[in-house]
Amino acid sequence: MLTGLGRCAILYMSRVDMSKYKTEIPYGMLDLLLLRTLETMGTMHGYALARRIEQVAGDSLQLSQGSVYPALIRLEQEGWIETEWGLSETNRKVKFYSLTKTGRKQLLTEIANWERTTAMVARFLGEAS
Amino acid sequence: MTARLLALTRGPQLDRELDDEVLAHLELAEQDAMASGLSREEARLVVRRRFGGIEQMREQHRDRRSFAAFGNLVRDFRYGLNSLARDPSFAATAIGVLALGIGANVAMFSIVDAVLLKPLPYPNPDRIVRVWEAPRPGSTNSTSSLDYLDWKRLATSFEALSAEFPASVALTGNGEPARLSGKAVSSDYFRVFSTPPLMGRTFMAHEDQPGSEAVVVISHATWQSHFGADLNILKRRMILDGESHQIIGVMRPGTVDRDRSEFWKPLVITPDQYLRTTHWLRLHGRLRPGVSLARAQEQLRSIRAASIELVPLFKRKWTIEVAPLERLLVGPNLRRSILVAFGAVFLVLLIACANVANLLLAKGTARGKEIAIRTALGASRGRLFAQLATESLVLCLLGAGAGLVIASLLIRIASPFISLNMPAPAPLELDYRLFGFAAGIALCVALLVSAVPSIQTSVGSLEHSLRQAGRGTSGSHHGVRRYIVIAEIALSLVLVCGALLLFRSLFNLQQIETGVRIDNVITMSVDLPEKSYPTPARAAMLYESTAERAKSVPGVMQSTLSSHLPLRWIGNGEAMAVTGLDEMIGVRFKRVAPEYFSTFGIPLLAGRAINQADRDGGRRVVVINEALGKRLADLAGLKNPIGQIVHLHCPRYIAKGTTKQEVEIIGMIRSERVADPGVPDPAVVYVPLAQVPDLAVHLIVRTQSDPSSVVSGIRKAMRAVDPNLPLGDIATMQEVREQTLSGASRPAWVIGVFAAIAALLTAIGLYGVMAQSVTQRRREIGIRMALGARAQDVVLHFLRNAFSLLMIGLALGIAGVLALTRVMKSILFEVSPLDPIALVVACLSMTLICLLAGFVPANRAAKVDPVTTLRDEG
Repeated sequence: MLTGLGRCAILYMSRVDMSKYKTEIPYGMLDLLLLRTLETMGTMHGYALARRIEQVAGDSLQLSQGSVYPALIRLEQEGWIETEWGLSETNRKVKFYSLTKTGRKQLLTEIANWERTTAMVARFLGEAS
Repeated sequence: MTARLLALTRGPQLDRELDDEVLAHLELAEQDAMASGLSREEARLVVRRRFGGIEQMREQHRDRRSFAAFGNLVRDFRYGLNSLARDPSFAATAIGVLALGIGANVAMFSIVDAVLLKPLPYPNPDRIVRVWEAPRPGSTNSTSSLDYLDWKRLATSFEALSAEFPASVALTGNGEPARLSGKAVSSDYFRVFSTPPLMGRTFMAHEDQPGSEAVVVISHATWQSHFGADLNILKRRMILDGESHQIIGVMRPGTVDRDRSEFWKPLVITPDQYLRTTHWLRLHGRLRPGVSLARAQEQLRSIRAASIELVPLFKRKWTIEVAPLERLLVGPNLRRSILVAFGAVFLVLLIACANVANLLLAKGTARGKEIAIRTALGASRGRLFAQLATESLVLCLLGAGAGLVIASLLIRIASPFISLNMPAPAPLELDYRLFGFAAGIALCVALLVSAVPSIQTSVGSLEHSLRQAGRGTSGSHHGVRRYIVIAEIALSLVLVCGALLLFRSLFNLQQIETGVRIDNVITMSVDLPEKSYPTPARAAMLYESTAERAKSVPGVMQSTLSSHLPLRWIGNGEAMAVTGLDEMIGVRFKRVAPEYFSTFGIPLLAGRAINQADRDGGRRVVVINEALGKRLADLAGLKNPIGQIVHLHCPRYIAKGTTKQEVEIIGMIRSERVADPGVPDPAVVYVPLAQVPDLAVHLIVRTQSDPSSVVSGIRKAMRAVDPNLPLGDIATMQEVREQTLSGASRPAWVIGVFAAIAALLTAIGLYGVMAQSVTQRRREIGIRMALGARAQDVVLHFLRNAFSLLMIGLALGIAGVLALTRVMKSILFEVSPLDPIALVVACLSMTLICLLAGFVPANRAAKVDPVTTLRDEG
C-alpha cells in the first residue's frame, strides 16, 4: 500500500513541479534525456551530465544546469538511478550517478511513450500541412 | 520508498549533500570556463547564469523530499474536515455515535485502570503480601499475637512484617466530638508499604512497646478537615478517647489512606495479650528482594511445624498462607463484574463502529461519482484508501475528543459510587493513560471503519461505478451494509439479553427473604473509649441507659443495641463445645440488647428471647439461630436444643482472648440474613450484650415515621448520657441493605444502560439502511406503483426485507448468548444464563425495534409519487 501511496504522491508532485518551476523543456523529456545519457555514457557526475545534455542538445534546448539536480533526485527516489560519492577527474569530491535495472526498463517505456507521442503529434502536423 | 522514509529523518544531512553537490558543480564549471579563457569573475557570473536559481532549486528539492507524504496527509486532513463541514448532519450523527461509544469505553477503562491495572502506589508493590492463618485451604483467618511475634522474630524472608487492628476513637477537645476510624499498627507498618509521610515522621521501632509515649500519625484528610491544614500540625496534640496524643506525622493522600483510615497509632501488644488462641491481627509483609511467595510461605509453615507443641490442639491442622496484596484488593466477584461491564461497553463500541461504517458507506455511495472521477484522473487505489482512511481518522479523532468530554462527565457522575463500592481504588481521573487509550481506540476504529467502505469503493471497477454513479444507484454497497446491520442486531441482542438476565437476577435479589423488617429503622454506631469505660459493668450500664434514653425521644418506638447490624457479615467467630461431641462447632458471635429480635421482627421459633433480666451476674444464656439449631441436631443429635447447657468461648472485655463460659440455650430464632445473598446462613449465637459487653456497638431505633427525623433528638439524648461520645455511621437499614446488595446490582444497571444505547444504535443503523434502500429504489418503486402496485405491497416488501435481516441477526445473536453462558453464570443470582424469558423478551424487543426502524422508511416509500420519481430520475 505504501508503495502505491508513494508513487501517486510523486505523480502528484510532478504535476505541481510544472507550475512551480518552469523548465523550458517539455515535461517528462528531461527524465528521458537523463536516463538515456546515463545509459549510453555509464556512470557520470552531475556536472558532466548537465554538460553532456547541453552538448548533445546544442542551442536547441534552453536548460538551466541547476534543474538537472531536482530531476536526478526524483529519479533516484523512483529507484531508476543510484548514487555514490567519488572523486572527479580534477580530484573534487562529487556525486556519481548510474542507471539501475529498473531504470533501464523505465527508459524503454519512456522511449516507447515518447515515440508514440511524437508519432501522433507528427500525424497531426502532417495533416495540417 | 525507504529512501523517502529515510529522507524524512535525515533532512539536514540531505540538504548538506545537495549543497556539496551544487558547490562541486559550480567549481567544476568555473574551472571549465576559466580554461576557455574567461577571468575568475566572468567565469563565476557565466556559471551562475547557466546554473539557474540555486535557492529555487533547493526549495524544489526540499518539497519533493519531505513534503510529499506529509503534505498529502495534511491535505487529506483538511479535505476531511471540509467534507465533514459540507455535510453537518452526517458529521453530527457520526461524531455523536462515536463519542457515545468511545466515551463509554474510556469511562469504563478508567474504572478498570483504577481498580485492576494501576499498580499500587508503593515502591515494589509486588513484594507486599498478606499473611493469613488458614483453617482450611482457601479460607483465611486473622493471626494470634504470639504467632505474629514468633514470625516477626524468625521469618527471614520478610524485610518487614506488620500487624494491624482496626481502631475507632472519639476525637474531643477540638470542637464537636468526632469519631475517627483508623488503625492500630505495629511500628513496621510504614516500612512494609515504604511510603514516606508528607510531613513529620512515622513510628520508630520502640514506639509500639508498652509504656512508650502516646503518638499518632494522621491522614491527609484528617489534617485538612479537623485541623484546617495547619502547617504547625506537628506541634499540636490531639485527644483521642480522652488521652492526649502527640501528632508526629501526616501521610500523603492516596497511599495507605486508601482504605479511608483517618489515623494510625502504635499497636501495643501487652504481655496479657500473649495468646495463641485469639486471632485478631491482620498481617502485611514486605518480602526481601528475590524471595518468592512460596518460599516465604514455606518458611512460615516450617516455623510453626518446629514449635507444633505450642500450638493449641484445635488449630494444629491449620496452615499459613501468603498472598500478594494486589490480588486481595479486588475480589474475584468484583473483578468479574468489572470485566463483564467492560465487555458490554466494548460491544457498544463495536456497534457504534458498525453504524459509522454504515454511514460512511452511504456517503461512499453518494461519493461514488467523485471517486470514479478521481480514479479516472489517475489516483491509485492506495492513494484513495489513504484519503478515505484519513477522512475516517478525522471523524474518529473528533469523536474521541467528544468522547473524552462524555467520559469525564460519566466519571464525575460515577466517582462517588465507585469510591463507595470499591475497595481502595486509585482516584478516577482523566490522565495521560486515558488520553492514550482514547487515541488508540480512535485509531483502531478509524482503520476498522474505513476498511470496509474503502475496499468497497476502490475495488469496484471504474466504468461500473461511473455508470452507476451517473444513475444515482449502486446496488453492490447495499450487500455490505446488510451484513453490518445483521452484525449490529446480533451484538445488540447479546447485550439486551445480558442486561435482562442481570435485571432478573437483581429482581431475585430484591425479593430475597432477609428475615428482618427494615422499614423505619435507623442505626448509628457508638464507640466507647476504654479509658472512660474500663470495666464491663460500666459499659453495660451505659448501654442500658442509652437504650432507655433513646426510647424516650419523640417519634421513637423501639430501641436496641447490637454488635453487628443485620445484613452485615459477622466477623467474630468463636467455638462452642457440646457435651458428647469431640469437635467444637464454629459459631458467629453476635451480642444483642433486649428487644433486638422484636425491633427487627425476627420470629422466635422456640423458647424465649433475651430480656432485661439477662444481665451481668445472672445466669449466662444464649439464643441460637435456626442454622445452628440444625447443625446441633445433625452433629450432636440435639432434637430440642432449648434448655441445653453448652460451653462457649466468649471474648473478654477490652483484653484480648476468650473465657470459656457455661451457657444455657434459651431460645431459637429464624435465621436472619447476615451477608450477601448467595452466602448460606452461618450458625449464629446471640449473647446478651449486658453479659458480654463490647466497646463498639450499634444503636438501632425503630421510628413511627421518617427515621431521619429523630436523629437530632437522639444526639441530644446521647449528650445527656455521655457528652464525649460521638455518634457515627448514621444509616437507615434501607441503606445498609442497599450497600449489601449493591455488589450485585451495579453491573445490572451499567449493562442495562449500555444495552439501551446499543439497541438505539442498532435501530439507527437499520433505519439508515432501509432509508437508503428506499432512496435508491425510488425509481423502481415508482415504476411498480405506476404499474398498479398498492401502497401496502410496497410497505410489505420493505418490511420483509428488514425482517430477513432481523432473523439472521437474531440467530447469530442467540449463538452469541450461548457462547457467553459461562461468563454470565458467575455473576447471576438464581437465574439460568439461558433463561427463556430473558431470551424471548430480548428477541421480541429487538424485533419491535427493527420493525419500527424498517417501517418508517417503508412507509415513506409507499408515499412516493410515481410521476415525480420517474420525472426526477428519468
